[in-house]
Amino acid sequence: MLGKLLKFDLKHGLKIFLLLHGILIIISLLGRFLFLDQLNFNEPDAALVSSVALFASAIIFLFVAVCFCTWLLIAFRFYRNLFTGEGYLTWTLPASSVQHLWSKILSGSILLLLDCIIESACILLLVTGSNVTEAYSVIASDVNSELGMSLSTFALILFVIMLISGPVSVIQTYFCIVIGQLFPAHRVLGAVAAYFISSFVIQILSFGLQIVTGLFPEYVLIGQTSTSDQVGTYLFTTMGYSTVMMIVIAVLQYLVIHYIMKKKINLL
Amino acid sequence: MEPILECRDLTKKYGSNYALYNLNLSLERGQIVGLLGPNGSGKTTLIKLANSLLRPTEGQILINGTEPGVETKKIVSYLPDRNYLNRHMRVDEVIDYYNTFYDNFSMDRAARMMDSLDIDRHARLSSLSKGTLEKVQLILVMSREAQLYILDEPIGGVDPAARDYILQTILTNYDENATVLISTHLISDIENVLDHVVFLQEGQLILSSSVDEIRTQYGKSVDTLFREVFKC
Repeated sequence: MLGKLLKFDLKHGLKIFLLLHGILIIISLLGRFLFLDQLNFNEPDAALVSSVALFASAIIFLFVAVCFCTWLLIAFRFYRNLFTGEGYLTWTLPASSVQHLWSKILSGSILLLLDCIIESACILLLVTGSNVTEAYSVIASDVNSELGMSLSTFALILFVIMLISGPVSVIQTYFCIVIGQLFPAHRVLGAVAAYFISSFVIQILSFGLQIVTGLFPEYVLIGQTSTSDQVGTYLFTTMGYSTVMMIVIAVLQYLVIHYIMKKKINLL
Repeated sequence: MEPILECRDLTKKYGSNYALYNLNLSLERGQIVGLLGPNGSGKTTLIKLANSLLRPTEGQILINGTEPGVETKKIVSYLPDRNYLNRHMRVDEVIDYYNTFYDNFSMDRAARMMDSLDIDRHARLSSLSKGTLEKVQLILVMSREAQLYILDEPIGGVDPAARDYILQTILTNYDENATVLISTHLISDIENVLDHVVFLQEGQLILSSSVDEIRTQYGKSVDTLFREVFKC
């Protein structure tokens, strides 16, 4: 049954997902071959810097927009399929609430992971032209010493953290929507409020964790005595703790979602 | 044989309000039952409880002797009182959806009914008129070989000709051992097809009787009795 649910959940937003990421790939290809490959970094001037800054801004905006649209697709599918009129069919399918929940978590995570992989591939496509890599090689040693590792290792670790954070953010989104449906007259408003409140609580916990682990004072010190190793070590120690904390929170949120979906569903 | 639907001291509260209170009810197999009552009498709450869309506050509701869950969903075919389909889907996609999830869905029966109504299977649901959409929904529900059909307002909001078609579809497509529970306000339209009626008021059972008993005991039609019992 889980397989059948998953099939229909994945099929739901597939066309929009493919369209969005198709556009992203085409723009990345055009950006690489029509813009980045034409740049000459051997003779830098003000026009070069401003055009690269403008291009980078536009590309970052596009990447964020595609990622946001993917997240919206996942959130809408969960909300519409379970808590609007469609819920009358979904909840009366011969499947348990756990199967519904896992189908949504898996389909959402798969879409976010695919988004993460495609966006990473597009970034690679954009920055691997010979002129860009040659220009980077000039500053590579400085960047490596700042990070305490090579840029490729740094990117790889970031990529792995993004992969882990995909399912975590899917669960957090579902948590907010499920909390919102406890307020029948204001479901969407309830979900938005749940998002802000849970984000606030997570920020407070994160702040507390930084103090407890002694990372917060170092954060203050970095501005004063940043040495190469400190930045990299600090970044990854912080990200490591944050990832563990987010996983623990996601488990708690999963338990709440599971309870509400089993006991507290009331469709309008 | 166990009743197809049984309520034992069934109570459902929303906050401090009782939607159903100590309801005891038993529906036998092989009959068409009218679930009747004014707005807010608890009809929809009872239907939601039978479909596992709500949990009882107290008491029990049993379908075929089992509490509503995955197993009972396999034998209950439910038509909600609203559009419950993704309107971006095409008719054939919805048929495929039902066929995928319900082992007792009959593609032949669905195809026969779709053909008799000349419904384009490639049409998107959003392009169908309200009446046609309601017919598609009913066809999907009645194409299952279920033991209990629960139809919430199946003839509300459609013209008299469509009502006739819907009632005819219900009559010709349910197994004689199955039970059909119909909730509606349009009593006069369905009175002739009902075997049994259940009157609910303020979450409590007022009457559970066969239509024949009502006619002989009260000397009135169900519609007339309903108007008298629930007179404002």
